[in-house]
Amino acid sequence: MNTANDPFAEMLQSAAAMQESGRAVLRTMMGLGDVEVGTSEKRCVYSEDKICLYRYTALARSANFKPVLICYAMVNRPYLLDLQPDRSFIRELLLAGLDVYLLDWGYPDGADRFLGLDVYVDGYLRRCVEFVLNEHAIDSLTLLGVCQGGTLSLCYAALEHRQIAQLITMVTPVDFKTPENLLSKWAQHIDVGLLTQSGNVSGDFLNLIYLSLMPFRLTQQKYVNLLQLQGDRVQLENFMRMEKWIFDSPDQPATAFREFIQWFFQENRLIRDELTLAGRPVRLENLTAPVLNIFASKDHLVPPSASIPLGARIGSKDYQSLEVDAGHIGLYVGGKTRKSVPAAVVAWLQSRR
Amino acid sequence: MGGFDPQTFPGIPALGLSREYQETAARLLELSKQFQQRYAEFAQQNAAIMQDAFQVMKKRLDAAPPAPSSPTELYDAWIDCAEGTYAQAAHSERFARLLAELCNISSAFKVERGKLTEQIARHLDLPSRAEVDTLHHQVRALKLAMRAAAPRAAKAAALHATASRPAAPRPAASRPPSARAKSSKPPPKPRKRGKK
Repeated sequence: MNTANDPFAEMLQSAAAMQESGRAVLRTMMGLGDVEVGTSEKRCVYSEDKICLYRYTALARSANFKPVLICYAMVNRPYLLDLQPDRSFIRELLLAGLDVYLLDWGYPDGADRFLGLDVYVDGYLRRCVEFVLNEHAIDSLTLLGVCQGGTLSLCYAALEHRQIAQLITMVTPVDFKTPENLLSKWAQHIDVGLLTQSGNVSGDFLNLIYLSLMPFRLTQQKYVNLLQLQGDRVQLENFMRMEKWIFDSPDQPATAFREFIQWFFQENRLIRDELTLAGRPVRLENLTAPVLNIFASKDHLVPPSASIPLGARIGSKDYQSLEVDAGHIGLYVGGKTRKSVPAAVVAWLQSRR
Repeated sequence: MGGFDPQTFPGIPALGLSREYQETAARLLELSKQFQQRYAEFAQQNAAIMQDAFQVMKKRLDAAPPAPSSPTELYDAWIDCAEGTYAQAAHSERFARLLAELCNISSAFKVERGKLTEQIARHLDLPSRAEVDTLHHQVRALKLAMRAAAPRAAKAAALHATASRPAAPRPAASRPPSARAKSSKPPPKPRKRGKK
């Protein structure tokens, strides 16, 4: 059919091609089976209740850095950092000769509903830090906090600054009440006491909120865009890994969730120097270790304005920020950033040995 | 003769043997009504957002010829318009309040439903949420007590081990009394501190 200069005919032809693409995508997806995630070798070296501290198997000769303990967010699963061999932040660190530990908060259930943030920070995180220190017979380590895990790491580092040789925060909210922060605007009027009165907050509820931040892109466009993959098996597997990660969301322990929303989102206590954990004041000015603060310019969950104020609040004289042209997730798995971000982390650590 | 109007039910005072259940049921009904009202407002707001998005899309198509040449381009243009319009509304105080009200009513409903389930569980002699919660608190308290007692227990065990170990025969004059006194303490744990 000659469609030259006939926009309607061109549209029809294009629509027919999309239909064919859709068939190819469906055919490939039906043969995909289960996708594998978190493929780097690791073993659980310490566990308590639902949490597990993993140590990754070395992939290169030790570069003699202090061990790195990664503290991930509680609201998602940490295998985003090790999604697949060619998209793995952790693997890049291992290849640079780092000794990597990961704190996995697990899947909290009803038995954890009364555990407050003090248990998570001053309990679980503390014991993981102390385990690593004892294991290596050292006084301090490198703590790397991601998103909410970055906020928890900041709290811990402010409480126990002597145990932290370096702190790296990635897409970490510090000021929870900036104008760009949509999640925070929505959280202000939620009666979080009532929300958590009937138990843990389901991962599905949180996903619904995340999807509502950009509903057209996240519930429609990304699936329509699958048609452009033309049934490419590798690309579809990548897509399915990410899809699995997005919706593999643990329920949130009621008390810790209530405290996090109320103290951080609604009252902004951390940046106002009004936060107390386990009976001790959490003061960012006590944080004197070198800090690398990485944030993403297109982050719709933690806007840069939420992370940037950290530099002005801490007591450390060695503060460096790194703005990456990516989104909240793209920072770890994006085409360029999946290599450049870990490389920047390693270079920063190298210059502070 | 008019039938039963569920809208009037929540207004009737609860009486008699089942008044506690009636109150919970009335509260659940009232919350359902509130949720429906708020949800209607929310849906109306979303419809307005869509209408605005269509206007933005129309302006975009009118203002920037040539028109998208493929369904994909057209679709992407629509998503841009819809997301942009939605973001504007979503950042407003009105949107945040409405969303929070929906969430709060839904939370209140769950709490009331929990009370009813609790009552039924008690009647059937099934473990209730309150009972499980009590057990969780007790287990937690026990764990804390055990953690607090752990160092003392370890110290006592070490002392016991040292005390029950038979003393090695050695010449009386080979060590000063002060050294002998020291040897009765538990051996210090070897621990090297320093960089890896």
